[in-house]
Amino acid sequence: MPPPPVVTGLSPIEGPPGTRIIIRGENFGTKSSDLIGLKICGCDCLLSAEWKSPNKIIARSGPGKGKGDVIVTTRLNGVGTCNVSFKGYHETIGPMKESAVWVEEAPLFVWGRHSLSPGSYQQEDPLGLSVEGNDKKFPEDDLLELFPNATGDISSENFSACWFLLENHHCTSFNDLQAGLLHLRRKVEGQKEGQLSFLKANVGSVMDQADTIATLMDKFEKDASVYGSESTRKLEKSIKESEREARKLFDDVLTRRDRAEKTRNALNVLARFRFLFCLPCVIDRNIRKGEYDIVINDYTRVKNLFNKSEVPVFKTALSEIEKRVVGLQKMLHDKLQKMPIPIEEQKRLIRYLVNLDAPYEPAWDAIRSYSNYINLRFKQCYEEHKAGENAVAEELCKMKNSQSASKYSKFNSSYDSLNAVPENILFVEDLCQLLSELFPDLWKLGQSYFTGELHANVEVGHQANFKNIVMTIIDLFCKTLRSAVIPHTLDKNADKALVGAWTIPDIDIIALWLPVCLRYIRSTYKILIKLDLPSEALDIISTFILDFKLYCMSVLLKQTTEQVRQLSSQENWKIEFAGTHSGITELPIEFEELVQTVIRLIKESVLTTEQREISLLENANAQKELDKQVETLLSSFYSVLKSLAFQDDESGYNEDHSPVVSQLIGTPITAYRNHDANNHIPIWECRLLTTLSNCQYTNNTVLVHISRSFTMNGYSLSKLAIENVKTKFTSLEKALLDAYLEHKSDPLVGTIEPSMYLGRFDWDTNNIPSDIRPYAKECINNLIHVHSEVYTVSPSLVESVLPQVVQTIAEELFRLMSCVKKFSLAGIQQARADICALQEILLPYSTPKAKTFFNDALDIIPSLEKSSSTIIEDILKQVRVRMRLQILCLSSSALNGPVIT
Amino acid sequence: MSKKPVTQPALHKVIMVGSGGVGKSALTLQFMYDEFVEDYEPTKADSYRKKILLDGEEVQIDILDTAGQEDYAAIRDNYFRSGEGFLCIFSITEDESFQATQDFREQILRVKNDENIPFLLVGNKCDLEERRKVTYQEASDRAKQWGVTYVETSAKTREHVDKVFFDLMREIRARKMEENKTNNGRGKDKNKRKKIKCVIL
Ligand SMILES: Nc1nc2c(ncn2[C@@H]2O[C@H](COP(=O)(O)OP(=O)(O)O)[C@@H](O)[C@H]2O)c(=O)[nH]1
Ligand SMILES: [Mg+2]
Repeated sequence: MPPPPVVTGLSPIEGPPGTRIIIRGENFGTKSSDLIGLKICGCDCLLSAEWKSPNKIIARSGPGKGKGDVIVTTRLNGVGTCNVSFKGYHETIGPMKESAVWVEEAPLFVWGRHSLSPGSYQQEDPLGLSVEGNDKKFPEDDLLELFPNATGDISSENFSACWFLLENHHCTSFNDLQAGLLHLRRKVEGQKEGQLSFLKANVGSVMDQADTIATLMDKFEKDASVYGSESTRKLEKSIKESEREARKLFDDVLTRRDRAEKTRNALNVLARFRFLFCLPCVIDRNIRKGEYDIVINDYTRVKNLFNKSEVPVFKTALSEIEKRVVGLQKMLHDKLQKMPIPIEEQKRLIRYLVNLDAPYEPAWDAIRSYSNYINLRFKQCYEEHKAGENAVAEELCKMKNSQSASKYSKFNSSYDSLNAVPENILFVEDLCQLLSELFPDLWKLGQSYFTGELHANVEVGHQANFKNIVMTIIDLFCKTLRSAVIPHTLDKNADKALVGAWTIPDIDIIALWLPVCLRYIRSTYKILIKLDLPSEALDIISTFILDFKLYCMSVLLKQTTEQVRQLSSQENWKIEFAGTHSGITELPIEFEELVQTVIRLIKESVLTTEQREISLLENANAQKELDKQVETLLSSFYSVLKSLAFQDDESGYNEDHSPVVSQLIGTPITAYRNHDANNHIPIWECRLLTTLSNCQYTNNTVLVHISRSFTMNGYSLSKLAIENVKTKFTSLEKALLDAYLEHKSDPLVGTIEPSMYLGRFDWDTNNIPSDIRPYAKECINNLIHVHSEVYTVSPSLVESVLPQVVQTIAEELFRLMSCVKKFSLAGIQQARADICALQEILLPYSTPKAKTFFNDALDIIPSLEKSSSTIIEDILKQVRVRMRLQILCLSSSALNGPVIT
Repeated sequence: MSKKPVTQPALHKVIMVGSGGVGKSALTLQFMYDEFVEDYEPTKADSYRKKILLDGEEVQIDILDTAGQEDYAAIRDNYFRSGEGFLCIFSITEDESFQATQDFREQILRVKNDENIPFLLVGNKCDLEERRKVTYQEASDRAKQWGVTYVETSAKTREHVDKVFFDLMREIRARKMEENKTNNGRGKDKNKRKKIKCVIL
């Protein structure tokens, strides 16, 4: 606690009641309202006190009598002490003497006599001692106490010698007193023995007196004879008459005196209650200056002092004050409800109103007007952005109309509208900001109100009402946001009308802004969490955030799906030979990148569960949506690949699908059919193969990556979703392969028979074979062609394509051999040489089935003598030499690296 | 008085005397509160008391600021009796006030009946050098004659304000110590004897 006030100086140090005193000292507080008590000689003088500075107060003394302390009390420093003292005394107050205090008639008499007592005996001391130097007066109060009803006045009946001695001689030495006693005795003796000598000394005058008495007697008798014996009665009569006359004469003066007295009394009252009478003006002035604290202080003071007073003039003054205070209350109340207003200001106004005993519920009114204000701002914000949206829409419309006039402007505007932030996003941002700015104050105001910090009465039911207000605002906030970004989650009938609708921009645009939106909403949510709102209110928002996140996720996935779909137009068919997965184009890599990006994006924005949020993936709906969207997303690439491989015809691309195989029948073989040189799209088979390769890569690598990525980033994707996609890709793979094989091996196999019997060849021939027959060579060459085609695209495909082809070749050979009706010896030799050569050369790509077919074919051909089969060995030897290159092409070693030619 | 505890620090009673308007109140307020009052408001009798450190010892100073005016002269004697030391102030800008110091000195000596009463002659308003009417020499001659110190002060600039109060208090303290010694040694003071006036018939 700070040091208590201490009074160290008084000016002046004594005086009658009403004396203006400058009180100096320390710690008198820092402002006038700090001063809460002032006692002078035990009398409360706060009313007259005027606080000047922390060490100066000016006040008027009260009716206290005698020496006493001056005690200052302040709000913070408590009751003070006093080093110096003030002496109050009462003066004789007559009609002609001014006085600052109300004069009671009764004590006047006492003071009057009291003031007469000293002085009259001052000149001569009965003891004949000098009183000079009697510096220490004996306190009068003590004397009164010691000798009640007595006095030191020699002329009084109640004279007390002790009193007298103590009063005048308490410092006189004993010797002096003895001398004084002697003196007094002498005087008394002198008076006693002196009667006779007194007469002697005054014979003359005694005689004169006797003569005068005799003359008086004569005159009286003469008068009696002249005026009769009733002279006294006459005298009485005339005295009475003169008295009456005198009265008449003085009545006027007396009434004037009475009036003057009354006026003076009135003036005194005015002076004494100046505070009360000046207050209306003071209040007006302070209201103008905005010093409401002072007004409140004055008002409380005046009410404490005069509220119970029955005096009419006080009542009038009080009602005048009341009128101003009511005006002030109304003004403050209006001010309180005028938004916007800082919360501190609002609290201050509430305090004023509470202190002024205003007949309002200031705190509650403030809360209500604040909540109305928030609603209003919401509405304004909505209208502003709605207007913005309309303006943009109009602009676009105009652009469309003037499209023909200027091509560039259209381009520009669409460019702008892509880059510009969509109006509903701006709205979300502003609304979030509004709530974060305004709501905390409302809540704090409410808290202050209910915790009693505002000292306002809390009405029953307001607690519930306040909760209702809070819930309504939060609810409106969420619904408005929903209408702006996720209108589909609103209850159509009830809410749409309430919060207005927005045109939602295209998915491409909105997807860019949703994470930003989420950030705004989250930061607002964080602010609200910090406020300790009831969980019901927070739950509204957390539910909204969940819905929003779900929407966000779904939009992002949809957007990516859309981007994946676009990929089909980006295929450039350039084959990358980088890494282990040679033979793929950029497409699968781009696809993976897109998916990885969206995984990351969603993870960063939506999947993270911040404070007091519902985890997205713990929600069943969200899980379902995620599975669905992911499946769609991944499948979209399947469609892309599929369309790239099969549906080009529909895109107006005319290409003959005639098989590209060399045939001994005639038409020269061109490896690449003539198609537009400018067109970079390769031939259909090539595309099939490339897509097949992409498909395989996607299925085996990309999907694995993606699936791992989902798990690593915390997605709990259902296995089924990936499996479904995998199945799709596997089926596509198969379809592609089948298509290719169909287009490759069918014609290839188909040529074998015509080529075999070309030139009416008959297995019952007589020509001794010298080489294998052309159809076999052609078959090998065609296979090499397929091999090279597949290899160019992807060496890894060779193994899945060639064995299939070889198998059909072997099957066809077996079929053809089993159809032969008759073999000549030479025919047998020829056939065995052919089949053996093919069997040997195609061995690297022979499936067990193919091997069986070759063996079966050889079994069908009739067997030979040992001597006759040497020729076959010779032919095979020759073939091995002559077709060295072809054999090399098809040797399995070729699988391990590119063939150098 | 009887209520106050015995452990109170020594109390030194100082009385400010001098004609009206020379700056008695101004000096007092400057010393007590470091404030300078411009307006002139005649004093009746003001009292100030606070604790201060005098050469490291805590003492209380009690200052009685008196009226310089004739109207109040009647009550003056009473106040003088209680004083233990006097600051006799005049204004160096006003010769009349300097002359008046003679009367004040006599009055004090009459009431206190003591030639060696702690006493300082103070020439105030020394900041108003250009309006000086009383020379330093004149004033210090008079002080020498009385056997007291002469100091020039300014209540406005606070020059020598602390000095006059502290010097006077030192004198008072020295005086009291001396008195204690003689009191212990010789008992009652002779000076306080009453004279007897003999009345002869
Ligand atoms: N310039 C100046 N004015 C002073 C000084 N001391 C007092 N005054 C002024 O003289 C006037 C009288 O001072 P005051 O202290 O009331 O005189 P008192 O009657 O002796 O108490 C006031 O207006 C003061 O402002 C001083 O040292 N210099
Ligand atoms: Mg003064």
